[in-house]
Amino acid sequence: MRRHDRALRRACKANFNPAQPRVPRGQPEGGQWVDANGDPVASRRVRLAGEIPTGDPPEIPKERPPTSRARSVALKTVARLLGPMAATAEIAKLGAWLTTYSAEISSYSDSPKSLEELQRAVSEPASGYEIHHVVEQTQAERDGFTREAIDSPDNLVRIPTLKHQEINGWYQRRNPDFGWETPREYLSGRNWDVKRAVGLDALRIHGVLQP
Amino acid sequence: MTDAALKNLSVAQLVERFTAITLGQFQAELHDEHKKYNDLIEEMLAVEQELKNRPGDQRSALVPLFLHPNPQVRLMAAELTLAVAPTTSRQVLQELWDRKEFPQAAYAMGTLRALERGDRRPS
Repeated sequence: MRRHDRALRRACKANFNPAQPRVPRGQPEGGQWVDANGDPVASRRVRLAGEIPTGDPPEIPKERPPTSRARSVALKTVARLLGPMAATAEIAKLGAWLTTYSAEISSYSDSPKSLEELQRAVSEPASGYEIHHVVEQTQAERDGFTREAIDSPDNLVRIPTLKHQEINGWYQRRNPDFGWETPREYLSGRNWDVKRAVGLDALRIHGVLQP
Repeated sequence: MTDAALKNLSVAQLVERFTAITLGQFQAELHDEHKKYNDLIEEMLAVEQELKNRPGDQRSALVPLFLHPNPQVRLMAAELTLAVAPTTSRQVLQELWDRKEFPQAAYAMGTLRALERGDRRPS
């Protein structure tokens, strides 16, 4: 936190330019610096005094947490923290218990694959990966689609376990791109093609499917 | 907090409230508390509306949060300033994607794609 404050102070100091354009006096943002595009400049208005809450992720427990929820939080945190550096040795440094989940942690940072690769991998089960339905199965069933369509090879992909959980969460959280509905609410009652387009997009924006 | 109570807050207090709410969203996502996350979206949109209603549209007061260390705060600050700081807010979204700060990176890329397609028209 203090390091961040110092970095912000240095950046603001180094970038200070009294000749930089400002919003004219008399307007609501009068006096505020603007950039070349006329947008308000972020660094100008950051308050440096006092505590800036960061909402830091929790410490990684050294011992295996007793509940699956606590383990899930820890695994997500580690996978996001290490990213592509998630080799077993690096994982072990954070806690010996985590090495049991090395496959889940390291698969999280797989590079994006083609749809064909993800579909082909369905027939090759592997630790750290799960089968994902491109069109969500529960909702598709509720909307009257057959199990045959839902479980067809075209609708199945093998993706990293933690990405699978992340995408499932994404479907349930309100989202500005769906008018602040959840994707699940938005898709309710829509046809297969719309559901599939959103499903493929979810895989792309989560870095699982190539653009 | 009710809409009436928000009216009594200064712009700086509204920004503080916005920060606290989005930090709450960060924790709710981490703990898979989807209902809590969605409730906090509602609260955040109320703050956004209050800032928008202030003379001169004070949503630009969220721009300093583009430098906040927490990715959820930066994400939502950028999402809600697309109309008032169109270029820098897009840069923040692009940075979240480039740094692979998931899950916020997914929302950032979703928005950038929606803007490119013309499906999102910030107002």
